[in-house]
Amino acid sequence: MRIAVGQGSCGIAAGAQKVADALRTKLAGTGIPVGTVGCIGMCWLEPIVDLYDDDRKLLHRLVQVKPEDAEKIAKWTKTGEDSVLGDLLLAPEDAQFLEKQTRIALRNCGIIDPDSLQSALDAGAYSAIKKVLGGMSPEDVIECIKESGLAGRGGAGFPTWFKWNAARQSPGDEKYLICNADEGDPGAFMDRAVIESDPHTLIEGMLIGAYAIGAQEAIVYVRAEYPLAIRRLEHAIQEARQAGYIGKNILGSNFSCDFRIKAGAGAFVCGEETALIESLQGQRGMPRLKPPFPAAAGYWYKPSNINNVETYANVAWIISNGGAAFAAMGTEDSKGTKVFALTGKIRRGGLVEIPMGMTLRDVIFGIGGGIRDGKAFKAVQMGGPSGGCIPAELLDTVIDYKKLGATGAIMGSGGMVVMDEDTCMVSMAKFFLDFTAKESCGKCVHCRIGTKRMQEILTRIVEGSGQEGDIELLEELCGAIKDGALCGLGQTAPNPVLTTLRYFRSEFEAHIREKRCPAHACSDLLHYEIDADKCRGCTLCARKCPVYAISGEAKEPHKIDPNVCIRCGACYAACRFGAVKKL
Amino acid sequence: MSQIHFTINGIPCVCEEGMSILQAAKANGIEIPNLCNDESVRVYGACGLCAVEVTDDGRGKPVPKLLRACSAKPMEGYVVRMDTARVNQSRKIALELLMSDHTGDCRGPCQLNCPAGTDCQGYVKKIAQGDFRGAVEIIKQKIPLPAAIGRVCPHPCEQNCRRGLVEQPISIAFLKAHAADRDLAGNTYRPQPAADTGKRIAVVGGGPAGLTAAYFLRLKGHAVTVYDAAAKMGGMLRYGIPAYRLPKDLLDREIDEIARIGIDMKNGIRLGKDIILEQLRSEYDAVILATGAWSSMAMRVPGEDLAGVTGGIQFLHDISSGEGEIPDLRGKNIAVCGGGNTAMDACRTAIRCGAENVYVIYRRTRSEMPAEDIEIEESIEEGVTYKFLTNPAEIIGENGRVKQVKLQVMELGEPDASGRRSPVPVEGRFEYLDVDCVIMAIGQKPDTDGLDGVTLTKKGTVEADSATYLTNLENVYAIGDATNRGASIAIEAIGEAGRCAAVVDSALRGEMKPYRTPYFSRKTVTSADLADREKQPRCPMPARPAAERARDFAPVNLGFTDEEAMREAKRCLECGCHDYADCKLIRYAQAQEIHPERLAGVKHTAETERRLVCIERDQGKCILCGLCVRVCDEVAQRGILGLVGRGFPTVVKPEFSKPEVIEICKTCKKCADACQTGALRIIE
Repeated sequence: MRIAVGQGSCGIAAGAQKVADALRTKLAGTGIPVGTVGCIGMCWLEPIVDLYDDDRKLLHRLVQVKPEDAEKIAKWTKTGEDSVLGDLLLAPEDAQFLEKQTRIALRNCGIIDPDSLQSALDAGAYSAIKKVLGGMSPEDVIECIKESGLAGRGGAGFPTWFKWNAARQSPGDEKYLICNADEGDPGAFMDRAVIESDPHTLIEGMLIGAYAIGAQEAIVYVRAEYPLAIRRLEHAIQEARQAGYIGKNILGSNFSCDFRIKAGAGAFVCGEETALIESLQGQRGMPRLKPPFPAAAGYWYKPSNINNVETYANVAWIISNGGAAFAAMGTEDSKGTKVFALTGKIRRGGLVEIPMGMTLRDVIFGIGGGIRDGKAFKAVQMGGPSGGCIPAELLDTVIDYKKLGATGAIMGSGGMVVMDEDTCMVSMAKFFLDFTAKESCGKCVHCRIGTKRMQEILTRIVEGSGQEGDIELLEELCGAIKDGALCGLGQTAPNPVLTTLRYFRSEFEAHIREKRCPAHACSDLLHYEIDADKCRGCTLCARKCPVYAISGEAKEPHKIDPNVCIRCGACYAACRFGAVKKL
Repeated sequence: MSQIHFTINGIPCVCEEGMSILQAAKANGIEIPNLCNDESVRVYGACGLCAVEVTDDGRGKPVPKLLRACSAKPMEGYVVRMDTARVNQSRKIALELLMSDHTGDCRGPCQLNCPAGTDCQGYVKKIAQGDFRGAVEIIKQKIPLPAAIGRVCPHPCEQNCRRGLVEQPISIAFLKAHAADRDLAGNTYRPQPAADTGKRIAVVGGGPAGLTAAYFLRLKGHAVTVYDAAAKMGGMLRYGIPAYRLPKDLLDREIDEIARIGIDMKNGIRLGKDIILEQLRSEYDAVILATGAWSSMAMRVPGEDLAGVTGGIQFLHDISSGEGEIPDLRGKNIAVCGGGNTAMDACRTAIRCGAENVYVIYRRTRSEMPAEDIEIEESIEEGVTYKFLTNPAEIIGENGRVKQVKLQVMELGEPDASGRRSPVPVEGRFEYLDVDCVIMAIGQKPDTDGLDGVTLTKKGTVEADSATYLTNLENVYAIGDATNRGASIAIEAIGEAGRCAAVVDSALRGEMKPYRTPYFSRKTVTSADLADREKQPRCPMPARPAAERARDFAPVNLGFTDEEAMREAKRCLECGCHDYADCKLIRYAQAQEIHPERLAGVKHTAETERRLVCIERDQGKCILCGLCVRVCDEVAQRGILGLVGRGFPTVVKPEFSKPEVIEICKTCKKCADACQTGALRIIE
C-alpha cells in the first residue's frame, strides 16, 4: 500500500503539506509510505490524497482532505472499510472531470513523484530518447514530429517540425534549444503544473528537440514566480545528469547536451520569443524585429529553437507512440490534445487536457460542470490578454486553431476564464488592457502609447464619462495597433476589446449613452436602494455600512443616502432579505 | 551579390541583395519616413513610421502584414507601396500617438499667435546678434512690408510673448521696424524671383493683402499685375493709417522694393469702372481680389445724414490722400464714435488738425476697448477726452449741420459671446455734447461695386473658401478685408495673402494644394515656470513729447538705436524648440493631417533634467526612439544611457551621474547629435 499527497503549488496552498505531515505522524511505524505527487488538475478539490495498492492501482482518491482526516485514513489502512472515509471520497460526478479527458502532456501529472527519477522511469520516462539515440536520425525525428501535426502550444500554433527543421538547416555549429516557461497569461498555469508534476517529461522532450536541431545546450526560461517549479526542475536536471541523460555522450551516444535554468524576472513580454532571448542575454526584455527569426539568429544571434513547456511535454509520447497516433486525435486542422486551465466562475476549475475537436460546451459544461452558484454563462476568455471572449451563442465552437480564430479569440496557451452574468464585459476588456498597457515593454509607439490610450478610453467609459465616438476611436486604435505593433504582445493586445465590441457592443453603448452598466458591476454607474417592502429593519446593513450612509429606526424600513454612499456593496452583501437592490 | 528588382510607389528600384527596403529606397532616391533608424546602429523598429505595404510579393500575392521597411528586405518583383490607405492610416495613428505624448513647444508663442506665422523668435535672435539683414531675410519670408507692419501692427505676437510672464513682452514689432529701416538704408535685401513660369496673375487691390500676394507669386516666377483704384499703392496703409504712425515716404520705399522684383503696378484703375472682372478673367490665368473694406458702417441713429457727420475711414482717407487741404479744425469740437484703432487714428488726427475738444464716445469702459493701450495712452496725453459708457442716441442738427450729439448713458451687464461685458442702456439717462463734427469709427465694410457675379456673404463681404481662397468663380480668389468676416488688421490680410499665394501657385502648376493649418506641438507655461528668470525691463520706445507731436503729422516714435534693439532682442526667452529646423517628427507630422487631440491623455511631464551636466534632457520631447541609448551603447561603446521602467512611463536615464561619467559625456555628446526631436540639448 502507498499513499500519495498531491503537492503542486495549488495543493500546497490548500494545505497539502500539513495533511502529508499528519499522515506521516499517524502512519509512523506502519511501513506505509506517504509520498509526494504533483497536481492531478482538480484544483477545486485540493488537498487530494490518493490511496494505491501494492500493484500501483488507485484504490481511492480522497478530496478536500484536512490534517485531522489523517485519523480516518489511518483507520482505513487498518480496517479497509471504505465507510470510514465518508465524504472524503471523490464524488462520482466530480470523477467525470478526469474521465472525460485524454492526457498526453499531463500523462504523469499527479501520478508520479516529481522529485524521483525512479518514479518517472517507472512511468516510462527516457524511453523515447533511448529510441531516438538507438537509431533515429535528426531528420527522422523531425519527420515523426511532422507526421504528428504537433503545433506550438504557446498560443501561435506554428508547426513544431517547421521550426525544428529551420533551426536544423540554419548554418552554424553552435545552436541552442530553449524552453519558454514564462507562462504569463492571467489565469494560466498549465506549464507550471507540468514542471512541478513531471519535470522529466519536459527534459526528455527538450533532449529530443536538441538532438533534432543539433543544439549542445538547452535552456529553460522559467519565471521567478514559480519557485517550486524551479526547485523541482533543478532537482530533476541533477538526477538526470547523474543518470547520464544529460551531459556528454548521452547514453553512450555522440549526442551531448547540457541543461540550465534561467529564472526570468516576471515581465509578461518575455514570453515573446525574441524578448525572451534578449532577457536570456542579460538585456532589457524587449522584442527584436523579425526577420531574422530565432531559427536563423536567436540566442547570441546563433540558430535557436524556442517552444513552450506543453509542446515539449508531448514530444516523448509522440516518439514512443508514433506521429500517426498523435495525429489520429483532433481535427483536420489541429492535431493531438490541448491543455487548458479552466478558471473563473466555473463549478469545477482546474487543468483539463482534451483532444482537439471537442466543443467549448463539452469542456465548460461537460468537464467543468457549468457555472457556479446557479448563474448564467456569459462568455469565456480564451488566450488571456492576447485572446478574446466567446459568447454563449458560440459555445458549440469546436476547439481547433482555425475555428477558435474565426471567433476573434485564439487558442492561446490554454487560459480559459469563464465569466457569468455578473461580469461587465467593458470592465473585462479594461482589465486586460490595464494588463497589456502595464506589461508593454515600451519600445514601439503603437503598443506603448496606443494601449495606454485605449486603456484611458476604456477607463472613462466604465467611470461613466465615455463620449459619443469612443467606440469608433477604440476600433480605429485596435486596427492600427494590430497592424503597427512590433511584437505579438502589441499586435494581439486589441483582441479582448475587439471581441467584446463584436459580441457585447450594446454594453459599451449603455455605458456611454445611458451611463448604465447592464451587469451592475461598474461602481461608478450603479447605486443601491432599499426595497421598503422587503426591509425588516434589522439594522444589519446600517451597521455594515463603512460611511454611515444608511439610516432608519429598528424594525422600520431603512434608507440609503446616495450622496454619502460609496457604492462598496457591503449592504448588498449583508442583507438577508434581498431588500438591498443594485440598480 | 545579386541584384533585386522591385518597385516603390510604382517607381522601379534596383538594390543589392541584403539591403533593407529602407536602405534600398534611399539608394534609389526615395525617402521612407522613419524616426528610430540610423545607419550607425542596429535596426530597432520602434517608431513604426516606415511601415510599407507589399501588394505583390513578386508571385502575385500580397504580403498580409505591413512591413517595417527598416528591417524587411525587398524580394525580386516586390511591389512596395507607401501610399496606400492602410499605410497612411498606420503612419497617421503612429504620429498622433507620438504627438499625444510629445510636449514640443515647436514654435514660440509669438510665432503661433502671428496671423502670418512670422518667425519672430528667428529674427529677434538675428537682431540680438546684430544681423539686421539676416533678420529681414527671415521677416520677408512672410511679410514684404516689414517697416510698415513694424509700425502699425497691433502685434498679437507680443500679446502671447512669454517674456510677459516675467515682466513685459519683447518689443517684437518695433524690432521688426528697426531691422527693416536698417535694411532700407542701404544694400537692401531683395530676393530673386524663380524662373518665369509663363503664367499671368491679376491682383485687384494694392493694399497689404494684394501687395503680399503679388510679391510671393512673383517670387514663384509668375507674371503679376496689381490694379488699384487709388493714385498710389498701399491701400489702408497709405490712406487709413495717419502719417504720424507710418511716414508716407517710408511706405513708398517699401512698395518700390516690391515693384523692383518685377511686379507691374497700375494705379487709378477701378474695377467695374475702368476695367471689368470678366476682362481680367479672360486675360489672366488667375485673378486675386483684394479690394479691402472702405465704407464706414453706419450707426443707425437719427441725424446721420447731417452735414458734419463722416465715417472714420473717409476722414482719414481725405487727409492722407492729400486730396484737399488738411482741414482746419481749429476751435472745433469733434466726437469720434468707436473704440478701435480706427477711432484712435481719427481722434489723434483730429487733434493734429487743431481741434479744440476731441471726444471719444465708447459704450463700454477702457478695459474693453479693442484699441491698443499705447494708442489710448498717447491720445490722452495729446488731449483726447473719453466719454466711456455712453452711446450716441441721436445726432441733433441745426440748419442741416451737426450741433449736438445726444448720448445714452450705459452700464455693463453680463459678459457676451466675446467674453466682454455687454453694455446696457440706463433707462432715461442721457447726456448732451456740443459738437461740430461726428466721426463714425465703428467698423468698415467692403464696397462691392464691380464684383459682378461674385457670391457675397450675408454680411456683404466676398465669400471665399477658407482653404483655397476661391470665390464661386473659377480661377478667381479673394483675400483680405473684403472677404468673409470682413475688416481686420493688416497682418491678418498679409498672412492670408501668403497662404493664398501658395495655393494659387500650386493650382497654376497643375495640382491645387488647399491650405491646411500646420500641426505644432504646444506647451503651456505659467509665470511660476519662469519665476527664476532675471527681470530685465523692456526697452521703452523713445517718442516725441505730446505737446510737440500733437501739432504735426511727423512720426511720434523716434526709433531704437542699434544698441537698444540688440539689448531688447537679447531679452528673448527663445521659447520655440531649438531643433525645429532639423526635427523629423514635426516634418512628418505636418506632411499629413493629424489630430493628436482626439487621443489626448496622460503625458510625460515636460521637465528638463541635467544629470549629465553638459547635456540637458527634456522628457516632454523624448519619443523613446532609443537612438541616444543605442548610440551610447553601440557607437560610443559606453552604455551610460538606459531605458527605465516599463510600458507608457518608460524613460531614458543615465546610469549614474558620477564625475567620470560627466567627464566622458563632455567629450562625446554623440547622443545629443543623434536625438531626432530636440529632447537632448548640448549646453555650451
